[in-house]
Amino acid sequence: MGNVVRVLYFGAAQELTGKSSEKLNAGDTGSLCRVMLEKYPSMRTLSFRIALNRNLLREESVLMENDEIAILPPLQGG
Amino acid sequence: MKNRYLVGGPITPLLISELWTLGNDDAGAGAVSIFIGKVRDDEVNGRRVTAIEYSAYNEMADKEAEEIVKTVQAAFSDVRKVIIVHSTGIVRAGEASLLIMVTAGHRDHSTRACRHTLEMVKEQLPVWKKEIY
Repeated sequence: MGNVVRVLYFGAAQELTGKSSEKLNAGDTGSLCRVMLEKYPSMRTLSFRIALNRNLLREESVLMENDEIAILPPLQGG
Repeated sequence: MKNRYLVGGPITPLLISELWTLGNDDAGAGAVSIFIGKVRDDEVNGRRVTAIEYSAYNEMADKEAEEIVKTVQAAFSDVRKVIIVHSTGIVRAGEASLLIMVTAGHRDHSTRACRHTLEMVKEQLPVWKKEIY
């Protein structure tokens, strides 16, 4: 059970998944990560942070229908 | 979506001079500090970097940059204006990919705030790069 959320992949996450975005079904960020890592085992090698609706998450969060999740590998600006 | 903190391609000398003239109407700004970050032609595993392709989470970059500007203005009372511009897309080695410009009444706050803004940009701006050889 869960909600359909939009997942955006950036940087190395985009290369490892071969996608810039997709819809996944999950009830919280923990279960979303499990779904994602099962689908893309190579993502296990990547350290990343998660943004929920454009806010950086510092702990796990419940997901609502149509939430926007972003997978953020280490930032490389500058 | 138009983003005021991101620009497609390199940050050109023309853009830098245009942004610099923005502060000219503020006669109380006695100091302008500018940091320009450029793409280096590093050698990685025997291959020379010729360009970097930058990508960004545009909507979040806008929000984060606004937060950085507010934080810097709150931390340095003499600061008048903070400008951040980062490239997206391809920037060749030798070209500029980041501009930070801070105006303040005096040099102490303009130089320190410019450095502080730079460190915050490195930590918070959702931008990624891919080397092109």
